Amino acid sequence: MKVEEYISSGIIESYVLGLASAEDSAEFERMCAAHGQVRDARNAFEIQLEEKISNQSVEPPRELKSRIFSKIGMERDQQAPVIPLKKPALVPRDGFVKYVAAASVILLAGSVLLNFYLISQYKKSIAQYNEVLASQTQYTTNNKILQTKLSDYENTLSLIRNPVMAIVKMQGVPSNPTSLATVYWNTKSKDVYLLVNELPKPAAEKQYQLWAIVDGKPVDAGVFDLGEGVSFMKLKTIPKAEAFAVTLEKRGGSVAPTMTALYVLGKVTG
Amino acid sequence: MGVSIVYNEQELIAALKARDDQAFGYLYDHYSGSLYSIILQIVKSPEIASDVLQEVFVNIWRKIESYDAVKGRLFTWMLNISRNASIDLLRSKNYQNSRKNQEITDNVYGSDQVTQTSIDSIGLTKFLGKLRPEQRVLIELAYFKGYTHDEIAQIEDIPLGTVKTRIRNALLQLREYLK
Repeated sequence: MKVEEYISSGIIESYVLGLASAEDSAEFERMCAAHGQVRDARNAFEIQLEEKISNQSVEPPRELKSRIFSKIGMERDQQAPVIPLKKPALVPRDGFVKYVAAASVILLAGSVLLNFYLISQYKKSIAQYNEVLASQTQYTTNNKILQTKLSDYENTLSLIRNPVMAIVKMQGVPSNPTSLATVYWNTKSKDVYLLVNELPKPAAEKQYQLWAIVDGKPVDAGVFDLGEGVSFMKLKTIPKAEAFAVTLEKRGGSVAPTMTALYVLGKVTG
Repeated sequence: MGVSIVYNEQELIAALKARDDQAFGYLYDHYSGSLYSIILQIVKSPEIASDVLQEVFVNIWRKIESYDAVKGRLFTWMLNISRNASIDLLRSKNYQNSRKNQEITDNVYGSDQVTQTSIDSIGLTKFLGKLRPEQRVLIELAYFKGYTHDEIAQIEDIPLGTVKTRIRNALLQLREYLK
């Protein structure tokens, strides 16, 4: 086939547009290398194609350029500069090289030791960190407990400070002179709260019981245990009473008070 | 913007191979529109075409080292990267799946036709309109869908020799059209 025929066979267009088979492409590249005419014809077609497409170009979205450039910038940052490896020249082992070799062995040994040291430091730091973390958790728990207690106290205090609260101080009877307890009685809701100021710790099978004296008769106002710290508790609602008293009864309380085990007694005033 | 530099092809290639930002900006400003139009003609959707164009430029930046001026002009090289990336996308699983969903909505709203006509008026697709139908089908399959001659022979059920002849004849008409 003559070169002119080859040029006008359509191979140039298929090659440039990427439609030629691998075989045809390889042949075309050989023809280009061998014949300036083929190369020129290819170049001419490429320029025409480029111009035609450029005349009908469509502007891509404006923000695309910066998007592409930031992507490229990121890749550029990730790419480490390529340093070509040079084949080391063979040098006879003269004195200097021996020193360098010795020095590098020492450096290597030093680096190994340093690594061990750093690892042990690292492990120590981890252990310390865990300790700190544990005590931090402990503090948080303690803090929560304190917060709960504090809010209990605040609740108690606000109850006590409520102006509708009638305060009934119950003094120790002669057999228990040091005992003392206080009833806070809400005159509106008739709720009864008891503050234990001082009562001896009872035996396990015994329990204190509060009584309201209504029209000269004792009415059960609830049993209670001594809690830790300040004991302030809500007992039964009592609509009407002249006095309050505390006796020590069997666990669960009694129907009638055991008068020999009377600890404190106080009259409602006002 | 600063001073605008005009590169000739050799200078541009040398600057690109040196990973010069300014040269790359110049490349984008001068060629993004052309490449975008080709990508758009293959993938049809402007949104997808933008993604493909981004991939194309990142690839140009990555592969500029492998560009060989002996084998053709820079634009030809970039054009082929763009066409290959577009066809790869059309064949990707993700696209095929989204296409299935797309077809359902297209059938409801008929939006595909609107895009189709606006793309028909630009670039090489316009050239397709000038071809005889039997040639147009083959160029469509070969250039815009990326099928090999063998595959086209099977799809269209015509002899491989006929496929080759028709495509070559169509391409020779393209050369006339470009003049």
